[in-house]
Amino acid sequence: MIKTIAKPAERKITGCGECRSTCQSACKTSCTVGNQSCERISREKKIEKK
Amino acid sequence: MIHTFQYKEKFYIYDTGSGSLHECDAETAAFLQNEETCGLSEQRKAEIRADLQPLYEAGLLGKEDVSAYPMKSTEIKALCLHICHDCNLRCKYCFADEGAYHSVRESMSFETAKAAIDFLLKNSGKRKVLEVDFFGGEPLMNLSVIQKVVYYAKEEAAKLGKKFLFTTTTNALLLNDEAIRFFNEEMENVVLSLDGRPEVHDLVRKTANGKGSYEYVIHNIEKFVRMRGDKHYYVRGTFTAKNLDFAKDVLFIADKGFDSISMEPVVTDIPELAIREEHLETIEKEYENLCDEYLARYAAGKGFNFFHFNIDLEGGPCLSKRVSACGAGNEYFSVVPNGDIYPCHQFAGDRDFYMGNVFEGKLNEEIRAKFASSCLFTREKCDSCFAKFICSGGCNANNYHYNGDINKPYEMTCAMMKKRIECAMHILAEKKAAEED
Repeated sequence: MIKTIAKPAERKITGCGECRSTCQSACKTSCTVGNQSCERISREKKIEKK
Repeated sequence: MIHTFQYKEKFYIYDTGSGSLHECDAETAAFLQNEETCGLSEQRKAEIRADLQPLYEAGLLGKEDVSAYPMKSTEIKALCLHICHDCNLRCKYCFADEGAYHSVRESMSFETAKAAIDFLLKNSGKRKVLEVDFFGGEPLMNLSVIQKVVYYAKEEAAKLGKKFLFTTTTNALLLNDEAIRFFNEEMENVVLSLDGRPEVHDLVRKTANGKGSYEYVIHNIEKFVRMRGDKHYYVRGTFTAKNLDFAKDVLFIADKGFDSISMEPVVTDIPELAIREEHLETIEKEYENLCDEYLARYAAGKGFNFFHFNIDLEGGPCLSKRVSACGAGNEYFSVVPNGDIYPCHQFAGDRDFYMGNVFEGKLNEEIRAKFASSCLFTREKCDSCFAKFICSGGCNANNYHYNGDINKPYEMTCAMMKKRIECAMHILAEKKAAEED
């Protein structure tokens, strides 16, 4: 039995910097980039939904 | 790289190269861990191979990890402004020497803060979104300068077609109506320190006269959150060796009605508070306890946001960010009250990491180059780690303070990070299953 839970979009090298700096989120000691979303992808998804 | 793990009765496959997550049965997990020693019949192995084949073909399994560094920006994106090197609390575990950073207690002047903003704008290149984090000590001891600098930064940014996002980290002791109003108008994010249950909080977060601070801050935080609306905030706690049952503190905070929570392991060498290797098993178990209760509350419609259980596998950050992480010392810096620049708040005051002053406007390029060249791929230990594209190699400062090298991740931090990520993946799977039902 194999069930796919998450199928990511291809990881692009945009580096646009629109997303928050990791250290400014909450922790200041144990940064985790993977829990952030790409601002551009999120914005594009919102527009698609509309 | 293929990582399999078990969370209670569930088995998962995480493919590091593609970032995809799959749920599987115990036999498939055993097969992927070691085909030779999994003890399965040849017929069963063939069945599993057939099941896995479409995933390999779709690039969702066994995808090669990226192993070269694609780019590194030299544009500055964010500053941590140490608006006040003084504090009205005397927390036992404070890395910042109870606000003084092993130097004099002082506040940043508006002139220095203004010079820091000018420095950031001048060096931000094409960046449109810039960030400033007001940090201390206790920033609210210098609220008037925060207010002035926010208005100044917004005005200057608008002239250049840029935008600032502001954050303040506060102990909430001086969080009065004026501060709440201002924060709600101007702060993109506010981080409020609260360690959880009153007895836990009061044990370490003391006032200058040695009294616990819980009763002084809790009403301010409650009022702030009530008035915050849907804007971002985090109630952020620190757990120590004294409260390894920290899930109870997270849940206590959630029960107070605060639905955006972070709880971080202490960074200290104080023996009675420091997290040590012998605590790891208990901590990992505690993350599971928290994960189970988190899901139970989610199912009951009483969910909350726990910072480390968030994971965005489908729309997460770009590769550049996954590789370069926080950007300390290269695109993110700390500025202390006299305008001196350091790679980040955790290096503030360490003269070995002094990088310049905002009034001079120049950076020590040797130190900057060291931080700029440091990334996931310069951390040998990360090479074989499944979590590398999620954690991005750990905190430079933690690595340096524990192992003497920004490129040598601290083992304890790694272990906790990996556990949290596995919990987060399990949560993702459970939430998705609940949505499908």
